Amino acid sequence: MQAPERRADKKDKNEPWRDPNAEAYVRIENVTKRFGDFVAVNNVSLRIFKGEIFCLLGGSGCGKSTLLRMMAGFENLTSGSIFLDGQDMAGVPPYERPVNMMFQSYALFPHMTVEKNIAFGLEQEKGLSRADIATRVTDILSIVKLDQFAARRPHQLSGGQRQRVALARSLVKRPKLLLLDEPLGALDKKLREATQFELINIQEQLGVTFIVVTHDQEEAMTLASRIGVMNRGEIVQIGTPTEIYEFPQNKFVADFIGSVNMFEGTMIEDLPDRVRIKSDDLGGVIYVDHGISSAPGAIVYAAVRPEKINLLRTPPADTSENCVKGVVKEIAYMGDMSIYLVKIDTGKIVRVTLPNVERMSDDERILWDETVWLTWHGSSPVVVTQ
Amino acid sequence: MKSGSRNSPSRDSYGRVSPLWLFLMRFGPPRWSEYVVKNWTGQRLVIAVPYLWLLIFFLIPFLIVLKISFAEFSPLGRPPYEPVFRWLEEGALQIKLLIGSYVYLFNEPLYVSAWLYSLKVAFFSTVFCLMLGYPMAYAISRSPPTQRNVLLLLIILPFWTSFLLRVYAWIGLLKTDGLINQVLFKWLGIVDEPLAMMNTSFAVYIGIVYSYLPFMILPLYSNLEKHDNTLLEAAQDLGAGPIKSFLRVTMPLSFPGIVAGSLLVFIPAVGEYVIPSLLGRTDQLMVAKLLADEFFLNRDWPRASAVAIAMLLLLVVPIMVFQRFQNKELQAQKK
Repeated sequence: MQAPERRADKKDKNEPWRDPNAEAYVRIENVTKRFGDFVAVNNVSLRIFKGEIFCLLGGSGCGKSTLLRMMAGFENLTSGSIFLDGQDMAGVPPYERPVNMMFQSYALFPHMTVEKNIAFGLEQEKGLSRADIATRVTDILSIVKLDQFAARRPHQLSGGQRQRVALARSLVKRPKLLLLDEPLGALDKKLREATQFELINIQEQLGVTFIVVTHDQEEAMTLASRIGVMNRGEIVQIGTPTEIYEFPQNKFVADFIGSVNMFEGTMIEDLPDRVRIKSDDLGGVIYVDHGISSAPGAIVYAAVRPEKINLLRTPPADTSENCVKGVVKEIAYMGDMSIYLVKIDTGKIVRVTLPNVERMSDDERILWDETVWLTWHGSSPVVVTQ
Repeated sequence: MKSGSRNSPSRDSYGRVSPLWLFLMRFGPPRWSEYVVKNWTGQRLVIAVPYLWLLIFFLIPFLIVLKISFAEFSPLGRPPYEPVFRWLEEGALQIKLLIGSYVYLFNEPLYVSAWLYSLKVAFFSTVFCLMLGYPMAYAISRSPPTQRNVLLLLIILPFWTSFLLRVYAWIGLLKTDGLINQVLFKWLGIVDEPLAMMNTSFAVYIGIVYSYLPFMILPLYSNLEKHDNTLLEAAQDLGAGPIKSFLRVTMPLSFPGIVAGSLLVFIPAVGEYVIPSLLGRTDQLMVAKLLADEFFLNRDWPRASAVAIAMLLLLVVPIMVFQRFQNKELQAQKK
């Protein structure tokens, strides 16, 4: 469980994407993929750096898997180009790319043992002796902790073990780039969480660049050094997990990542260090303590995360800004936190989550149909224009 | 495996699925197999009918043939053999089993050569069918789903005409003044004299390969069609080119299909009667022809029966080997 902390340290020191002159390891330039009339990937450009875990995050059909398959060489580009370590990948068949892929279904060969599955890729390389292959298979088996299962066939393994065989098989060739298609999708929640950290550990140990495709935002948040959010074949935002969550650049990202309360409104005060928005949705004024670049009078959306809203039984001293009255309509007790759906006076339902820090008796707890005041700090709202 | 519990009809006591059942499930009406599996107790009666049929019209005649094969030939008798079981006056049962017919089979050069020739023809026909059928089955399994059924229908289409007629049709093609010779000799002038194709081993191979090709293609197709395409992608991704991927992944995984198709061709080809009689050599007989001659010309029922029994034993062995193999394979592929 130490992995994420260590990685956090490292991330602060090593953020090559901040440097515009840094050399990208994988360069995706204006890549478009059409299937007939359908545009699966639309003019995507990306720079991915050595040693990164880059997550492509999006709903189904957003083009993330197509993009991954183009990097592996299974799909041809309609236009654009992909460079890996400076080499143009156009026309290079999948079996000659220094890229390996971990398939969503794992695609383990059912007629081969675990050992044979892993050795398969090495046997295709020229100039590797049997002894070399055996050593490398043994090494990778111990890294993924499958030493005792070398002689088993895939159908004799559990889901988690199969996942590790698939990982070992794709890593043993020491690819420049490892592509992972929903790597943890087939595992149950507990196993998924444990495997996420294992995956990060292995990635750090071997220093391979990972590109992970996932629809699971939690998975993306845990694994990624950076996330590229995709929608309808386009990249809508690229950033670190924190940036994506705390500073979404548009309505789609704000909505897609986590849950959010969105208030439509117009700017009534637009200063470099603060903004005021009059919102009919809210029936009040939203004060934001940082500046936004937008035309005055423009329609904007203020997004407030449920966990950043306070729930009060008595009205606060100042109710003129960032404050609204409402009635609790639904309460969902989730154990570690509770979700409150509050109907405010304009009729809009606002979602609030509160951590269950203390054990409370029923009298202390906020209950159904209680009138409450919602407040939030000026730093909480994120304002997006589209 | 989705369908079936332990006590379903499609499985033996070890829970293995027999290839015949797999074949039926593959081509049966939709959800038919699940239905049978679910309502097994009620289905016993229905299943009993064909079994009863097989018992009366296959097992009992087989036992009679087995009995006759041990009887003594009496050319003037009616039927032409001495009884095997006879009640003596003292109330004792006399059983007289002669193995002479069997010994004869292995000592008579005519028989030995007919056996070897039959096996040779069946073996090479199977190889040719495999070489022709595998690419066809593969191509069908890779074609767009909408085209697949049409292509499969075309494979099955010849069955709509009588087998006998189709073999006769080959006479018209292969004979000295037949269609092929007309084209090659008269019209194109490629050959100096008409080719002698009728009554050769070549004609037998043509006939058998032509007639049995669908039996090779269908099980192969039904195997290849189920292959997971991502396995091939994985092989390519790991550095194996198209040929390597085929040899290391597709072919080993299609092995049960190869074996099933090969047996479906080999077994009937060994005992093939019509094709060698109509198209084949006159100086070299196949076993089935020998059996028929022994029965109808020589009226030697015991010897004819011994040939039939020996042929059955010869063919049962590869089937059992196949069963064992298939079960092992199924066991391995079950998740």
